Amino acid sequence: MATRIPQKRILGDTSSTRRNLLSSPASTKKRKLEFEPISSPAARFRSSQNGPKSKLGSSQPSQFESELEKMTQDIAGLKENNSEKSQTWSRPPLKAIDPQNDRLVFQQIEVEEGTLNGQPAVKLFGVTDAGHSVMLHVKEFQHYLYVAAPVSFTVKDCQPYKAYLEAQIGNYSPVIYSVQVVLRENLYGFAGNQKNPYIKITVTDPKHIAKVRSRIESKGGANWQGKWTAGGDEGILTFDSVQYIMRFMVDLGISGMSWVEAPAKSYSLISENMRQSDCQIEAEITYRDLIAHKPEGEWAKIAPLRILSFDIECAGRKGIFPEANIDPVIQIANVVTRYGEKQPFIKNVFCLDETSTITNTQILAFDDEKELLKQWSDFMKQVDPDVIIGYNICNFDFPYLLDRAKHLKVHGFEQWTRLKNMRSEAKATNFNSKQMGNRDTKATNTNGRLQLDLLQLVQRDHQLRSYTLNSVCAQFLGEQKEDVHHTMITELFNGTPESRRRLAVYCLKDAWLPQRLMDKLSCLENYTEMARVTGVPFNYLLSRGQQVKFISQLFRKTREQHLVIPNLPNSGGDDGQYEGATVIEPTRGYYDCPIATLDFASLYPSIIQAHNLCYTTMLKKEAVEKLGLMKNEDYIVTPNGDMFATVKQRKGLLSQILEELLTARKQAKRELATETDPFKKAVLNGRQLALKISANSVYGLTGASNGKVPCLAIASSTTAYGRQMIERTKGEVEAKYTIANGYTHDAQVIYGDTDSVMVKFGTTDLREAMKLGEEAAAFVSSKFVKPIKLEFEKVYFPYLLINKKRYAGLYYTNPDKYDKMDTKGIETVRRDNCRLVQNVIETVLRMILIDRDVQGAQDYVKDTISDLLQNKIDMSKLVITKALTKTNEDYKDKQAHVELAARMKRRDAGSAPTLGDRVAYVIIKGSAGAKNFERSEDPIFVLENNLPIDTKYYLDNQLSKPLGRIFEPILGETKANSLLAGDHTRAISVAAPSVGGLMKFTKKTFTCMGCKKPLRGSEESRGAVCSDCAPRVGELYQKTLHKVSDLEVRFGRLWTQCQRCQGSMHCEVICSSKDCPIFYMRMKAKKDVEDAGKELVRFDHDAAAW
Amino acid sequence: MLEARLEQADLLKKVVDAIKDLVQDCNFDCNDSGLALQAMDNSHVALVSMMLKAESFSPYRCDRNIALGVNLTSLTKVLRAAQNEDILTLKAEDAPDVLNLVFESSGNDRLSEYDLKLMDIDQEHLGIPDTEYAATISMPSTEFRRICVDLMALSESVSIEASKDGVKFSCTGDIGNGAVTLRSHNNVENPELNVDIELSEPVALTFSLKYLVNFCKASGLSKSVKLCLSNEVPLLVEYGLDGGSYLRFYLAPKIGDDE
Repeated sequence: MATRIPQKRILGDTSSTRRNLLSSPASTKKRKLEFEPISSPAARFRSSQNGPKSKLGSSQPSQFESELEKMTQDIAGLKENNSEKSQTWSRPPLKAIDPQNDRLVFQQIEVEEGTLNGQPAVKLFGVTDAGHSVMLHVKEFQHYLYVAAPVSFTVKDCQPYKAYLEAQIGNYSPVIYSVQVVLRENLYGFAGNQKNPYIKITVTDPKHIAKVRSRIESKGGANWQGKWTAGGDEGILTFDSVQYIMRFMVDLGISGMSWVEAPAKSYSLISENMRQSDCQIEAEITYRDLIAHKPEGEWAKIAPLRILSFDIECAGRKGIFPEANIDPVIQIANVVTRYGEKQPFIKNVFCLDETSTITNTQILAFDDEKELLKQWSDFMKQVDPDVIIGYNICNFDFPYLLDRAKHLKVHGFEQWTRLKNMRSEAKATNFNSKQMGNRDTKATNTNGRLQLDLLQLVQRDHQLRSYTLNSVCAQFLGEQKEDVHHTMITELFNGTPESRRRLAVYCLKDAWLPQRLMDKLSCLENYTEMARVTGVPFNYLLSRGQQVKFISQLFRKTREQHLVIPNLPNSGGDDGQYEGATVIEPTRGYYDCPIATLDFASLYPSIIQAHNLCYTTMLKKEAVEKLGLMKNEDYIVTPNGDMFATVKQRKGLLSQILEELLTARKQAKRELATETDPFKKAVLNGRQLALKISANSVYGLTGASNGKVPCLAIASSTTAYGRQMIERTKGEVEAKYTIANGYTHDAQVIYGDTDSVMVKFGTTDLREAMKLGEEAAAFVSSKFVKPIKLEFEKVYFPYLLINKKRYAGLYYTNPDKYDKMDTKGIETVRRDNCRLVQNVIETVLRMILIDRDVQGAQDYVKDTISDLLQNKIDMSKLVITKALTKTNEDYKDKQAHVELAARMKRRDAGSAPTLGDRVAYVIIKGSAGAKNFERSEDPIFVLENNLPIDTKYYLDNQLSKPLGRIFEPILGETKANSLLAGDHTRAISVAAPSVGGLMKFTKKTFTCMGCKKPLRGSEESRGAVCSDCAPRVGELYQKTLHKVSDLEVRFGRLWTQCQRCQGSMHCEVICSSKDCPIFYMRMKAKKDVEDAGKELVRFDHDAAAW
Repeated sequence: MLEARLEQADLLKKVVDAIKDLVQDCNFDCNDSGLALQAMDNSHVALVSMMLKAESFSPYRCDRNIALGVNLTSLTKVLRAAQNEDILTLKAEDAPDVLNLVFESSGNDRLSEYDLKLMDIDQEHLGIPDTEYAATISMPSTEFRRICVDLMALSESVSIEASKDGVKFSCTGDIGNGAVTLRSHNNVENPELNVDIELSEPVALTFSLKYLVNFCKASGLSKSVKLCLSNEVPLLVEYGLDGGSYLRFYLAPKIGDDE
């Protein structure tokens, strides 16, 4: 069971499936009144939430149903191709290889440090075109570093210096391999294209490099004969500080996931008894003979990687999250696919205890859990996957299996690596990067096999409300899955072979969805291409931050040009603040005319290119004087006051890198346009994306003051140019497009941000505005240095400008039809709001912008607010989710979700959310003066106990601001405010909870259904109406009966929906997915029917009715 | 049709003031016997029960049952416009949208008239069944307020122990602890200062002081207050009004270390 984030809570009644069923209203005598149905059942089913206006809200039943059907069919289709008994697990058998005549070509997927016969060697793991696994030892590559040579240092000094260093380090065996003098250039600063002597110190074993470096850098460490005069005793700056693996890849020109070739005669196979791995081919070669293929043309392909997607289920105990020492692993489902094939070739489930068969899936049933684990580990070895994927496998499945096997003492279970004497181990790590925030994770080593945890990947690349497998699938695949709570799993497991089969199907689906998700998101292709473009190993992409990618590119480039990168001491902290991008003050309002948007295409990269900003062109005042450079001729001064040499003197390294990246991207896009093969298309698309991201990250890394290669001069000059350009664009446009110059209107720049400006040309004609926009873009572009280019991209019509970074509009790229509705910074996309806000805002914007129906939008808002106050809004729409990123103590102020997590922990430690989870909560009513954080509550607890929702909070704190922002520019302040406090807010409903201090002492008094008067007398007390309302009893009964049948229909439909979702009409629904709006709706509907049923029964006791 | 005339607007002002912090929106149920209100506070720990009998008004007329859904904050705003000595008349139709309030100043001939928009409040009717209480304590309402306010300075909760010796209010807090003990006391000259304890068995219960202090806002309505206690049953705090009308508060006891 891998969908464990956030951990699930369950309604009390799901533990007993029986009670989940609806008990039909207890009214035994539904009197048959004859009346015309008020409307068709379908129409009646439309509640406030399912009204025709809320199309974009939660899923419409019909559409959802058909999708579900399709999914079940897909499974059926998938199962057809395979047999139930025998599936081939192994790789294709290997034909004998003759190193004298056969060349060895493979795609390397992982690079690792290691040794061969006691000598350091790099291990390359990979797969050949024929699908054979390979491990290649690359020998003799040595690590090195540079030190700037002092003036008096000559070639003759090399040997004595080497001896001196050895003595300084004082190791028992030789550490330094060689000391040479070479000509290199410092990356930082322009120095007239002069190369200077540098000392290259090569070490015998890569593990010595750190020792040597720290010795040289330490105080008085290596100042031989005092040759380093200026501050030499304070430690000497070293150059090219890079990991061995990176050095290896850079120097050999190998990029991550690229193809390498060992030509015939150059390599030798390793004999069976000397082998370190269980790869089919294991060979050795010296690094000089290895050929690295650039990932272009033929070598852009991807080998038939074997991808294992798996999921485990374990039998947890009630209320406690499974613990490996106690709770057994009961099922492991596996789906194995070869890259490039659409259908998996292995589908099986390892089950504990007898399990009924599933079509076209191999069921391997065991009586003993130890045996199950053992067999699975053998299966793993035999299948020999290159990539292991799953959902939350890193933090749950891997460590759990390892712990469980350890607990049961299953020998040899942890052999998941490709190295014979390397066991898999789960280690706790903490990943911290600016982009991703702080995360506690576990890392399990599977040397030679790649891991892709889809959860981590989705968390990294996509901003979602919830990261459960279910909601992620709903988002990307457009389908839901059953979400079975872990206590339910135990129940199914303890049932019959049939119920275990049900569980196995569920498990199999969980194993299969990550695979489909990966295909859909083209993860493998995108990450492969990112590895190829930036040159880093695949694994780095998930486990490391942004910087390593840029460093890798930088090193590759500096190597070509004989530049060396100083190992600068980490400045640490964020002291290097500089001014960011500019924002032109928005002229707020609702524009009922076309607004053209002009964008600078890749603004920062093009600025860096245009002005030749780079480490290598950066100039200091002294250098300018020394080299006698001319201003504006040989160098320029940026608006920020920094100086850079012009192209005439030297072309910057960064601009070369960017040029290459952007050219490569154009190339990839061109190829993409002509390519027809879907797999190749995915690869190409992945490449152009990777190239784009890489180009854009260059600027960011120069500004990272605690990075490896900070250079604030570049970063701040870049933004300074950006600011200047936006201002200039505004000026140019407003100066040219005036009535004075013969245009119909004076153009006005109403807003501008970072790399775009919004222009109101004044015309109301869309075509005209587009023409002017294009013209203006070309006109302004001509004023700037190449390759800076202003592009006309789109027109917004109409356009609602609310504030900085907050606007909405209909997006046109051609004058006939709008492309989409575009919103920025409006609550539709923010996650810290409840879904209600999102729905309302989206609908309102749609009505205003597309339908141009402002009155309708107002009415819609009023209806929604009225529903909210009367508790008619579905609770799933009121749920707010927030990530729990820090524990209680770390937050300065108390926060609702943190407090709730703590409270839930006290209530039931097992199901409470933990660090990193997203916590779902609703705000309930509390005593006067209670703070928000005291009033947050778990939605399911609220549902269970009928706690009253604080509708006022949702109105005042959630809806009012965004609605005010939208309506104020259109209606004006007073009218906008009336939306929130009009007559429609005068009907409210107050729920009576089942918990709370006083509740167990109270007695409910029925009120008259007609006039709400409490019914007190003995005659009336159990009835439906008071004596005054007795004449209306018929009417009221009919109303109540209608209500009950409406609710029954509603519940019935929700129930069927869930049945469809689980793919079976014969089983009870056991799903308790917290992310599914249907789940809350179903729970609410069930309760409503029960309550309405009780009301109906009152007529049986009513005196007036008889 | 409802028409109810109060000699002094003061009464309604004080009642509303006393409960408006506990309840925001509630129904005034009007029938021929008078004006009743029953509502729980938001955290469902306390219940307010008010009854203004027809006798408290002169005249009082209510033809059929009417539920007046009132937002108490809004009502307070309107009532603020009335002088304490004003004569107040409440008027409403049979199926009302608004509640009409008329303030007449007896001194000068000033007549002010306000319409308050009503709400449609869908609320369950919850009541506490009448119980035989083990201990019933009457005391001056100012005394009760003083005890609550004094102890509130020390702690969030107070334990009330009634035995044959007297009634003891005690609390323990971070800065120390305190206790106030009252014995039966008969003041012949000023019977309003009497402390009267009726006891069938000893009782000990703990309550939230925050709520008790809140209840004490009603002290202005009546010179004396009646506390009724039984073990494991909500506390009843009753302020008797003229003409058999009353304002009652129920408060659930604190059990264990519950929040």
